[in-house]
Amino acid sequence: MSENTAKRHMGLRASRALSNTLIHVLLVVMSVVWLIPFVCILLQSFRVESTWQVGYVIPQKWGFDNYVNLWNTDFPRWYMNTLITALVTAVLQTVIVLCMSYTLSRFRFKMRQPLMRFMLILGMFPGMLSMIILYRVLKDLGLTQANAVPGLILVYVASSGMGYYVSKGFFDTIPMSLDEAARVDGATRSQVLYKIILPLAKPIVIYTILTAFMGPWGDFVFARYISFGASAGKNVAVGLYDWLSKDQINKSYTLFCAGGVLVALPVTLLFLFLQKYYVEGVTGGAVKG
Amino acid sequence: MKKIVSLLLSLAMVLSMCSFASADSLAGTYDIKVWVANEIVDLTKKQIENFNATNDLGIVFNATIEAQGEGDAATAMVTDVDAGGDIYCFAQDQFARLIQAGALAKLGQGAAKTVQEGCDADAVKAVTTSDGTMWAYPLTADNGYFMYYDKTVIPEEDIDSLEKIIADCEAAGKNINFEMQTSAWYLASFFFGTGCVSVWKTDEAGKFTSVTDTFNSDKGLIAVKGMKKLLDSPVHVSSSEIAGFANNAAVVVSGTWASADAKNMLGDNLGVADLPSFEVDGQEYHLGSFFGFKLMGVKPQSDPVKAAALHRLAQYLTGTQCSLERHAERGWGPADLAAKADESVANDPILKAVYEQKNYGVVQDAIHGSWWDTAKVIGDGVKAAATEDDLKAVLQKYEDDIAALFTLDTSALLFVGAWNGWNNADTADTYYLKDGALTLDVPESDYMGGRIVAPGSWDTDKGFAQVTTGAELIKDLGAENPDNNIVFAEAGNYTLTWDGTAITIVRN
Amino acid sequence: MKQYSDLEFLRLSRGQKFLYRLLRFLIAIPVGIGRFFAKIWQGIIAGAKALGREIKDIAGTFAHGDWKTRTSFLVMGFGNLARGQILRGLLFLLFEIVFIGYMALTGGYWLSMLPSLGLEGPSETYNEILDTYTTAYHDNSFKILLYGVLTIFFIIAFIYTWRQNVKQNRIAERILASGKKLKSGKEDLRSVVDDQFHKTLLALPLTGILIFTVLPIVFMVLVAFTNYDGAHDGYANNLFTWVGLKNFNTMLSWSSGGGSQSYAATFGEILTWTLIWAFFATFTNYFLGMFVAMAINKKGIRLKKLWRTVLVLTIAIPQFISLLYVSKMFAKDGILNGFLLSMGWIQQALPFWEDPTWARITVIVINIWIGIPYLMLITTGILMNIPADLYESSRIDGANAWQQYTKITLPYMLFVTGPYLLTSFTSNMNNFNVIYLLTGGAPTNPAASSAAGSVGYTDLLITWLFKITTGAESQYYLASVVGILVFVVVALISLVVYNLLPSIKNEEDFR
Repeated sequence: MSENTAKRHMGLRASRALSNTLIHVLLVVMSVVWLIPFVCILLQSFRVESTWQVGYVIPQKWGFDNYVNLWNTDFPRWYMNTLITALVTAVLQTVIVLCMSYTLSRFRFKMRQPLMRFMLILGMFPGMLSMIILYRVLKDLGLTQANAVPGLILVYVASSGMGYYVSKGFFDTIPMSLDEAARVDGATRSQVLYKIILPLAKPIVIYTILTAFMGPWGDFVFARYISFGASAGKNVAVGLYDWLSKDQINKSYTLFCAGGVLVALPVTLLFLFLQKYYVEGVTGGAVKG
Repeated sequence: MKKIVSLLLSLAMVLSMCSFASADSLAGTYDIKVWVANEIVDLTKKQIENFNATNDLGIVFNATIEAQGEGDAATAMVTDVDAGGDIYCFAQDQFARLIQAGALAKLGQGAAKTVQEGCDADAVKAVTTSDGTMWAYPLTADNGYFMYYDKTVIPEEDIDSLEKIIADCEAAGKNINFEMQTSAWYLASFFFGTGCVSVWKTDEAGKFTSVTDTFNSDKGLIAVKGMKKLLDSPVHVSSSEIAGFANNAAVVVSGTWASADAKNMLGDNLGVADLPSFEVDGQEYHLGSFFGFKLMGVKPQSDPVKAAALHRLAQYLTGTQCSLERHAERGWGPADLAAKADESVANDPILKAVYEQKNYGVVQDAIHGSWWDTAKVIGDGVKAAATEDDLKAVLQKYEDDIAALFTLDTSALLFVGAWNGWNNADTADTYYLKDGALTLDVPESDYMGGRIVAPGSWDTDKGFAQVTTGAELIKDLGAENPDNNIVFAEAGNYTLTWDGTAITIVRN
Repeated sequence: MKQYSDLEFLRLSRGQKFLYRLLRFLIAIPVGIGRFFAKIWQGIIAGAKALGREIKDIAGTFAHGDWKTRTSFLVMGFGNLARGQILRGLLFLLFEIVFIGYMALTGGYWLSMLPSLGLEGPSETYNEILDTYTTAYHDNSFKILLYGVLTIFFIIAFIYTWRQNVKQNRIAERILASGKKLKSGKEDLRSVVDDQFHKTLLALPLTGILIFTVLPIVFMVLVAFTNYDGAHDGYANNLFTWVGLKNFNTMLSWSSGGGSQSYAATFGEILTWTLIWAFFATFTNYFLGMFVAMAINKKGIRLKKLWRTVLVLTIAIPQFISLLYVSKMFAKDGILNGFLLSMGWIQQALPFWEDPTWARITVIVINIWIGIPYLMLITTGILMNIPADLYESSRIDGANAWQQYTKITLPYMLFVTGPYLLTSFTSNMNNFNVIYLLTGGAPTNPAASSAAGSVGYTDLLITWLFKITTGAESQYYLASVVGILVFVVVALISLVVYNLLPSIKNEEDFR
């Protein structure tokens, strides 16, 4: 190795070390910025000296009072509502989405193209106004106010077929030759789905379950409409959001933080646990490489 | 035979009416929904149980009580009246909107008399429309704002002057929380301080018919100059949240609902006072305020028995005993005269500040729902203004917007037709019906026709078919007139009058 | 305009290339729109022709069919039953019975009321004995419109089924004539999970979409032609009725009623900001997310998994918690200002939410905080797909990192993520959560605020729409007009971009 190339290598190494250090610094700073709000919420939930918003972050007196007090509110009810909604939605929505995306990815039939285009156009309408109509439909079915949970599940599941894009993208990456081979061996179309495709589609199934499970925890607009003033029908998002309303915030701000932590906990744990599949789902389906 | 049957029927009816009339006919169990503010949910539950136990009519309410802030009650009710609370509380500003939405039942004569005699006179006015109909029960008479302050920052002798308060706060680096940029309710304070008014008139259906508004005037200009002093101060925060005390505020302008929290936050350092005065061109103006009431309404019912029972309950909940309980537990100032006279209420320092400020206040009357949005932008406008002309422009814009609330209504209608070249966006206002009337020359042409429309639209509901007087002056084209046009038989000078349902045509 | 061939294009200077591309883009817009309408027209003509064929076919079936077929015209499924296809026949018959029953019981009423949307509003009576007022409720415009539309759906479904019923008779006749056997019920059942499996799979999802997505949208579009608002709720106060194009006139008219700004001007202002927001929200996230992904992927960076996990937390935690909290942090008396003041870095609180420009920048910046993790995840996968030898050979050619990025990474990324960028642009246009939770539209825009509720500088069309429905007058009809206009804007943008993007010309990529 000549002296010159050796120098060049050393220079390269030095500059790479420098840039790597810079990147590490940047990542640390970013992580701090990304975590600050969550750490703040966590800290506030342990503050017991006052219940309103304050200008400092670290509590003067620590304790679990807020978490204990949650039991004396409707929060457990809201939590159960949301948990049930999320679990049932996760199962049913996954079935619907898989049916939809599998069909559109695997079958070639006359109405396929028009159907996909039609759904693309439907998706361009802002859904905001649909709430008013859906509310009335559910009301006629008796699924509003205190009975909001089945109503919410119905609407989440029924309209979920529209969100087939990601998993269709994933199915598109599974080679058609697999299906064809199985068909030659005498399998029916449904057997192909259960025995060949589904085992291969594990990441996207888990991805779909995960996103379907996460959705209901954050819905505060539509869920409010459906529960319409009945505390028994609220989900956590609506209930917690109401605690920040003008006449309640000073009494319930730290409760909000504690409730927020309890809401974030299962979703975050599940997410960390299944992160691998989520990433595979997003990268495999959201954008086809 | 027929006669006997009808006789029997009418007898049965009379009998059933008699049984209605006796008091115990209201006896029964009713499932109802009650919407009250979060902080009195438990108290109201207890009060309804008390009512069930003590009423001698045998009424038992099986009540579901839900928390619903009085400020959003109308928004919630309007969404779906059918599913709304049978009894609910709301702030006075939503009164007209709720009547219009069909969400309030009229009070019977007996109930109206009780309210008339037992309640604060201003409160009675607040629940009555211009035709004398009563629509709700006064719940509290304390819905106004005043000043909470930190005694350690602002000395007793400075609390009467806005300038001194600003100086004290700037010196101490403490904030003044006064919601000037996002709330017309607070912002009106400066205008009322200089004697401006905004008085709205409604008809019996709750529809607004006219307004007397003097915000855009010399007095209004003084008000915005005073307002600008506050807005320009770096320590001003546009907020009415009492939690401001935990975030560096020394002054929070807010109302009685915040009293418990304020005491918690500042303890012995909490001071309460009426609003201060501000100075413009050497003259002092005491800040005014809105003063209003919280009301309790009963939703219209199909079943007269249930309706009657609900009105009894509303009367009970707004009566003396319940009002006193609410004051004792939550510090709410009663509208009920007997409760107001009670010693515990009369000696309440916070209510004292409320009533002190009420002397400078304007009792809130029915106000157009859009006024709140129209007026609240004054705050941002004043803050952005650099010169006196800018301030004037802000007020002018406000006046135009207020006027537009009515021109959008039926008062500005256009007689569109051959005479103005079918221009329905006519801006020359030669063809507008002023106060519902218009006199114009119809020039000779092949088709001397036209109809009355709102500017920009092509309505067909104000034309030939609505002409009640003067039909002999116009042609009846039958099926050849699909657009319901008024087609004059001859050219000439005519006067048209539109009274909201019918058109009168007179040839001059 | 002259079109260059590839060779000619390569000879152009950089500026000329850019200009050429820009011109091509601008020309493509009207061409794309024109093509779209041409397609619609072609569709209409094709539809009319198809209808003609159908009618001819039906008439032919009747003329040439036997008595079984002809009876099926009245009694659905009769032909199937008579020819031994019991299962199919029963299903057809059942559907007909349900349909007739429904129409006789309620469908007829809804349909007949549809033109007027109800005749009798609520009426009030005074009960002297009880000294109380009661209200009797009658027609319900809302239900009439809703169930009227549903009934029309049902009728269309019936016509389609009836047509299938007729068609099957013809096919059956033909099969029998050729001496073959008809499919048995058992075979029908088998086909449900085999060659007709796609229909089975789609049945449930499509029914759901029809009732819970299509129906509301049709309803919403229709509301724009009525006067449905808080004072005409169709049941509790006044009925509402059809008003034709009046609401579109109001929204699109530039003449203002009095001094306030016209709706059209307000709409224009909000639309402008919506587009600006969507542009920045999409591209800041895109490039910064890509940058972060590249940084984490870089050789020699430790704890890759940790960094990713930390960032991904923002996806897991519901936005209403994190955004509401962040919104309070940035308030004038919030934690951030408090911190900056106490450090002495600023003398006065920064007006994050009070000043229009500050507020707009702040929402975009906070949106980056939310968006980077998603983009990081998405781009990580794609970056790994870029063949490593491309970089290797370019490095040998002496390209530096920046050149590698602009010549290899970026073109590749743009090609692959083109469709994603478009969807993310349109979904940012409708990003209700971020704006509603952070600012609620504040600060108020005095000039644009009109009778339709207070409009803020950070309001998007979608939050404005929401404000209109919850505003003092609850003007659902105006909100509906805004909704339709949002659709038109989104559709136009998508149309133009779809026609320009190379990577989605291919049907298999069409998503």
